[in-house]
Amino acid sequence: MAQNIFEKIKNIEDLPTLPSVSMDVIRLAQSSDISINQISERIYTDPPLATKVLKMANSAYYRRGSRQIDTLHRALVLMGLSEIISIITSVSALSILPPKNSESASIRNSFWEHCVATGLIAKYIDKKLCMQNKGKEFVGGLLHDIGKIILDEYCHDEFIQSHEMSKKTGCPIYEAEMELLGTNHMEIGHFLMSRWNLPSYLADINLWHHDPSNAESKEITALISLSDILAKSSILSFGDQNSCYVLKDEDSWNILKGLGYPMDDLDLEKMTFEIEDMSAEVKTYIASITEDDKGAGKSE
Amino acid sequence: MIKGPARVSEFSTTSSSLMTDNTFRLLRDFIYENSGIYFSDTKKAQLENRLSLRLRANNLSDYDKYYYLLKYDPQAGKEIRALFDSITTNETSFFRSPPQIQAFQEKALPEIMEKKGDLDNKVLRMWSAGCSTGDEPYTMGIIIKELLNERLSEWDIKIFASDISEKALRSARSATYNEYTLRSVPPEIKNKYFMPNGTSYKINDEIRMLVELQYLNLNNTKRVRLMKDFDIIFCRNVLIYFDDEAKKRFVAQLYDNLNPGGYLFIGHSESLHNISRAFKLVHFPGALGYKKE
Repeated sequence: MAQNIFEKIKNIEDLPTLPSVSMDVIRLAQSSDISINQISERIYTDPPLATKVLKMANSAYYRRGSRQIDTLHRALVLMGLSEIISIITSVSALSILPPKNSESASIRNSFWEHCVATGLIAKYIDKKLCMQNKGKEFVGGLLHDIGKIILDEYCHDEFIQSHEMSKKTGCPIYEAEMELLGTNHMEIGHFLMSRWNLPSYLADINLWHHDPSNAESKEITALISLSDILAKSSILSFGDQNSCYVLKDEDSWNILKGLGYPMDDLDLEKMTFEIEDMSAEVKTYIASITEDDKGAGKSE
Repeated sequence: MIKGPARVSEFSTTSSSLMTDNTFRLLRDFIYENSGIYFSDTKKAQLENRLSLRLRANNLSDYDKYYYLLKYDPQAGKEIRALFDSITTNETSFFRSPPQIQAFQEKALPEIMEKKGDLDNKVLRMWSAGCSTGDEPYTMGIIIKELLNERLSEWDIKIFASDISEKALRSARSATYNEYTLRSVPPEIKNKYFMPNGTSYKINDEIRMLVELQYLNLNNTKRVRLMKDFDIIFCRNVLIYFDDEAKKRFVAQLYDNLNPGGYLFIGHSESLHNISRAFKLVHFPGALGYKKE
């Protein structure tokens, strides 16, 4: 069975994909000399996406004051490129593989809660450590577990069983996946990022977020790995909720420390309390996107 | 320790003033820096209620002015004590702060017991420092009994429970509790370990035997030094009564009081950052613990 599931998924012809404009924008953001006009022009070639981005920019989550943001150009000027890239990735990613029933809706919801939490925590740590990943950290956090949603969609029973096995035996979820599916969400996610032709840091994050020392893009993979752990030890876990962590013993921590970030100066307790406070923010974020979906349906 | 003065009323808002989110954040950071206690976003209303009394006492019309008083007034020191008194409660209850209790029950305790069981050293020593009316040490006792069941007799177990208040200790000795303090106790646990006694409930003897209550002033360094060889120490919502120097001294002493591999649990929103770097900070699901390696 082992090879089969990975092969099976590889061979699915209509495997979900992000809108091509979203993928372009994520790629464009890699180059340093990109202009606001280039980005907004590219987004406008996908009018429904442009509408969704503007709705999110005006949503409960982002809205400050009563002034309406009515053009992408304005949104880019006011909110910055990295925020717009985060929004585009969120509205695109959260609409792939919509749930089929209430059971899958609840799985998808806690899945995206964990991913959004990981993205927001990555953004928070990026800021704390002045890392300047410029939105890549949110995109990375949001997409780091994307393999799970594919496994859930195409091998639902085994995927659920692997969660149960991990809960029961205390083994990490990817080990249970390997045992029952012959592959794991990291391999699938890595494959998907490459298939979508997204920047290599995203493939790296997918493959190595549980073992960042092997990653080529070490810094950002370590950041996502650490954020993933912090999301798990707050209430925003998706599976793996039984784990305990000593952050200072984690590879991700020591990689960032080795790169010269002042890890020992972080007030870990306060950081943990502030992350716990983020759960409301995560819910508002997702609600704003879902609300946007409903609204966009009407206007398209 | 006495957990604060008589409880401050939760219902005494000043009608004139509301706390803005921005002021809340300023006050929260101020309180955290000065006491190590963090008020989460969900506790904004609680903080607002409690500080309303301080506003009134200082004749101030809004929370911004109160923040400036704390931050810049030459008399601020005195007010900070009053502020701490108003934000602490003497409230304690069974199974308080569920994620912490869960970390104790499902992680720390099994880890320690497994290690000691392997070494055939079936001795377990715990300390509830600042036990107030006994809810915490008896909760620990119930959890241990639930974990070991009939194997309890194979172990030598003692839960020391200390407080500075004779009154609280008398109440702990009576081991009698009202419905309200038992509100977080699962019904099957309540039936198993509590005997109805009029309108209240008395905890059964098997659990009482595990707990040894004693008077102890945590400022008494010589006495505290004698508390030796603990596997787990609970010292929740007590540190606020010490100034920074005393806190550092006391926490260093708690470190020495623990066995290697032992855990210290402080209050759910309390922090040892800037107080001690000796422990290893462990992230349990929804709770923090401090481990001595």
